[in-house]
Amino acid sequence: MRDAGVAPHAVRHVEVINGELFVLSLERNGLEFVPGDCVALHTDGGKSRPYSIASGNREDALRFVIRKMEGGEVSPWLMDRSPGDTVQISPPFGWFRPAQDIGDAPFVFIATGTGVAPFLSFRSSFEQKAPALFLYGLRRKADAVGAEQLAGWCNLKLAISREKTEGHYHGRVTALLEEMPVRPGTHYYLCGLESMVSETTRWLEEQGVDIFHIHREVFFHG
Amino acid sequence: MNDDKWRFDPEGNPRGYIQPKQLKELWFHTGTVCNLRCSFCLEGSKPGDNRLNPITLEEAKPFIQEALALGTEQFSFTGGEPFVIPEMVAILEYALDYNPCMVLTNATEPLLNRLHQVAPMAKKPFPLSFRVSLDHPDPAKHDLFRGQGNFHLALKTMEQLHRCGFKISIARQVDEGEDMEAVNRAYISFFREAGLPEDTTIVGFPEFHEPGSNPDIPYITESCMTTYKTEETRDEMMCNFSKMVVKKGGRMRVYACTLVDDDEDFDLGGSLSEAMKIRVMLKHHRCYTCFADGASCSEI
Ligand SMILES: Cc1cc2nc3c(=O)[nH]c(=O)nc-3n(C[C@H](O)[C@H](O)[C@H](O)COP(=O)(O)OP(=O)(O)OC[C@H]3O[C@@H](n4cnc5c(N)ncnc54)[C@H](O)[C@@H]3O)c2cc1C
Ligand code: SF4
Repeated sequence: MRDAGVAPHAVRHVEVINGELFVLSLERNGLEFVPGDCVALHTDGGKSRPYSIASGNREDALRFVIRKMEGGEVSPWLMDRSPGDTVQISPPFGWFRPAQDIGDAPFVFIATGTGVAPFLSFRSSFEQKAPALFLYGLRRKADAVGAEQLAGWCNLKLAISREKTEGHYHGRVTALLEEMPVRPGTHYYLCGLESMVSETTRWLEEQGVDIFHIHREVFFHG
Repeated sequence: MNDDKWRFDPEGNPRGYIQPKQLKELWFHTGTVCNLRCSFCLEGSKPGDNRLNPITLEEAKPFIQEALALGTEQFSFTGGEPFVIPEMVAILEYALDYNPCMVLTNATEPLLNRLHQVAPMAKKPFPLSFRVSLDHPDPAKHDLFRGQGNFHLALKTMEQLHRCGFKISIARQVDEGEDMEAVNRAYISFFREAGLPEDTTIVGFPEFHEPGSNPDIPYITESCMTTYKTEETRDEMMCNFSKMVVKKGGRMRVYACTLVDDDEDFDLGGSLSEAMKIRVMLKHHRCYTCFADGASCSEI
């Protein structure tokens, strides 16, 4: 059944970051959203998947950071788009609101891979606010999207699991987290792989962090 | 509505019907947007879906007030996942000043991330309860459709809700030919794990078929309603004592019950008092499931 309420947005460009990782830019067409929101992107065949908006709410473009899943119904189709094509998108929706309803409490961002998207949107939307710490888990250094923009803004630490790189932690982001101090009253925002989100939740709870202070967004299950 | 098709089955027999009596429970469909994309979903809900639109507090208010004037005892909310819609907490804040409320939820991130807003509602004048979907007492089977880790995540959310003082029940699917009591018993260890009472209510649902599907089911005729039903069992059918408000194509509409929002014939108009006057003809395939299996979404 074709969804009601979808609207066509023209493709600006598709920028390949590394291998199967790409940034899709669409015309925003005045779409209102809140950092942390997703939209469902639809193929011409009517298949859809949710993608988190990575651009800020004062920009003209709508950007998405996407990993192409081999054999997938939607992400390979999105990677094949060219400037001038259109992509149908749903109204924005979301339940992940990085640091938006916690007053002045300190906060930490933790992402794996494309899970950086809502935090990039936060970065571009609320320049005055920054996390106390930003842990970004990647397979390879070349997969880092927006790392320069983030490094100049907050205490960014990359955890790179599949290669050793000068100046960066070699290993999983969950292991890097265990080396970091846990400060009372801090809110944690976790986004990306279910395994990272679940392990991190468990570890933070073991350190005495209240579940009310752990905010989660899962992109990929299993 | 095509009058003849509404009143007579394809063989020309008058259809069985329910003449609603008293509106005890008002359901709101919060929209078909959901964070999950379960292939079996009764509603065809998924991320970004807009077949039924998200509702707002301002849109819900007149129906809440009209329902109160009609003596409604409970407000219930289903989706999609109700906690995906931006105004869910505000709607509950308002409705809990007037009546008990129940929310059907998958108890994953949308609710977990809003626990800090939900917890204070334990102090509202009327109680808030949750019915959590835990499809099977085998976490792997639940996670197969709902996503890795989501069984235990739902348990974690239930534990928190229970701690806050909210009542919890669970909804599960009933497979044909299963040993119902044995399956229900298999949940007990998980209830214990989440600190819930061992006798937590389990509401079982039979196969309802996807919206828009047209399974081959027997017709319910007027005589079926007296041959196989008594006044008491007729009264237990949801369309007798409940209605559901949905937002479709940008308009708030009243449907005959929670199960038939994919058939325009069950759109009973824009007001509850008008809808309660309309005889509901049991023509939908889900009516047969209700009729034969006694399926009901209600807990009142
Ligand atoms: C809230 C949310 C936000 C998200 N945001 C982002 C984002 O910002 N960026 C991003 O990249 N992703 C994001 N995702 C993930 C995204 O929605 C898709 O799940 C992802 O792009 C894969 O979709 P697909 O259609 O390409 O693959 P699918 O068709 O869903 O398939 C996924 C994988 O499973 C395999 N597969 C499919 N069917 C079968 C089968 N029957 N048996 C075995 N294997 C099978 C495919 O080969 C593929 O590798 C988000 C997800 C959620 C829930
Ligand atoms: S969680 Fe419920 S509403 Fe959401 S897709 Fe699954 S069955 Fe449908």
